[in-house]
Amino acid sequence: MMAPALVIVLAIYLYPAIFTMVLSFSHFDIVRLRLDRFAGLDNYLDLFSNPAFLNATLRTVYFGCLIALSATILGFLIALLLDRKFYGRAIVRVVVVLPWAVPPVVSGVLWGQMFHADIGFVNAVLERLGLIDRYQIWLGDGWTALHVIAVAEIWKAIPFTVLFILAGLQSLPRHVFESAAVDGASIGQSFRDMLLPLMMPILIPLALVQFVWAMKAFDTIFVLTRGGPAGGTTTLNYFVYNEAFQAFDLGSASAAAYVLLLVTLCVVLLISVLRRFVVPIQ
Amino acid sequence: MTRSKQALILNVLTYTAAVVVVLLMAFPLYGLFLTSLQPESVIRSRDMQFFPDSIYLEHFREVLRPGHIVPIREGMWNSLILSMTTALVCLVAALPAAYAFSRLRLPGRRIILGTLVSVYFLPTTLFLIPMFVLFVSWNINDTFLSLVLAYSGFILPFEIWVLKAFIDKLPLEVEDAARVDGCTDLQVMLKIVLPMVRPGILAGFVFAFILSWIEFLTPLIFTADLKITTVALGLFRSTIDIKIGQQAAAAVLTLLPVAVLMLVFQNLITRVLLTGDEN
Repeated sequence: MMAPALVIVLAIYLYPAIFTMVLSFSHFDIVRLRLDRFAGLDNYLDLFSNPAFLNATLRTVYFGCLIALSATILGFLIALLLDRKFYGRAIVRVVVVLPWAVPPVVSGVLWGQMFHADIGFVNAVLERLGLIDRYQIWLGDGWTALHVIAVAEIWKAIPFTVLFILAGLQSLPRHVFESAAVDGASIGQSFRDMLLPLMMPILIPLALVQFVWAMKAFDTIFVLTRGGPAGGTTTLNYFVYNEAFQAFDLGSASAAAYVLLLVTLCVVLLISVLRRFVVPIQ
Repeated sequence: MTRSKQALILNVLTYTAAVVVVLLMAFPLYGLFLTSLQPESVIRSRDMQFFPDSIYLEHFREVLRPGHIVPIREGMWNSLILSMTTALVCLVAALPAAYAFSRLRLPGRRIILGTLVSVYFLPTTLFLIPMFVLFVSWNINDTFLSLVLAYSGFILPFEIWVLKAFIDKLPLEVEDAARVDGCTDLQVMLKIVLPMVRPGILAGFVFAFILSWIEFLTPLIFTADLKITTVALGLFRSTIDIKIGQQAAAAVLTLLPVAVLMLVFQNLITRVLLTGDEN
């Protein structure tokens, strides 16, 4: 009974995974669509002597860590807020979950408009608050643009991290915190000595999942910067896309894809070792 | 510090934080809707009102006009058909697999399921390269078929996982009773399990529909000849167009179906994603 699904999944995943592996060790003739000749480690050696690739790898790891940490920490803070009782909590909760419903490509367009150099609301707000004296070109510089993309990704990731952490918070034994408060523990103490250690088994795997998700980021990069300026926002995923579907060097692209796979797999393995399996969609 | 004073400070902090969170999370979306509802001249002037006193619907009328440079209308229609087809294909393929994973005591089934779900985490570019080569050599590049195949492949592992979570919760006794009465496995599945797992089927359909609707990279690569356009691609083309208001309107149109589905099935969706696999 598993057959129909397994056949499709195997055809879509296993076969391509092997095909990509073979490609990464060969030169591919894109015109005749066939393997040209065996290349040994050529593709890999070329990549590792290519500064653009090495930069993209480092940038990807930075990008992943930035998103994983920010989305988890901000998610934790917002979840702590929503765990308290206050007027209007239901509204805040709905607003926080909103970005979840935004397709990634819309998120790209949205943040592109927000950070627009001429008409962007970010410029308008910052100028009206007196924080900048004239409109900034946010996407004009690779390093800044990378952070704009990260903002778009974090904004979209927060609903999931909040709901996930909130579910964790609500499963904590309330009476322990209450009796600690009665015994005179300050809020800071019970946060540091009880809440944080209790939440770590949820926070760490969650951050790892966010890292893995950040590896898949594509739509926002494509819409906002197309990997530019000067390659400053090219992550490994985008590098693979460029090599394969712009330069049509499938061998090199496949080798880069396997490097990306390796980075991702390490983290996925870490997650399954930590025995907390979650499947988010975003 | 007295306890009541501490409580007061905590309350002030809570409300301040709530306001900040709402502003930061909602502002970008509010900005998008605002932009889609204001004339181009107002958007371009640098003194846009954050609370406008008039609403302008021309951008929506413009982008939905047939033959508009931003093919949003055509894209929405194509994406609707594509997403429905994909959701159906996924259900038909995933139901038996989910049932098997849930009920059969096969050796290594947990490893198989684990691998399947892990695959869902991997970057899609990995699988797109060989798929591209295959589809071009089969001559199905830039067709509905190629997109449905690719989407289904990407969504199936997740779909199986969702349906399995629902089937796991069904009581085994009913099925056993049916078997005692002489039902075959197929009959049990069609007549007993299928009707009971209706919420799961609904959830699976909604998930697959949303995931297909928002897919961007796959159609970007597989529709290079521009024979078909999807809603996400149509929206992307609007970023080349210079009219900001129309771009915002296109973005709102891309977003709306997903937002409506998420809103209607909010409880179902959060329940599935947060409770997860009970095993």
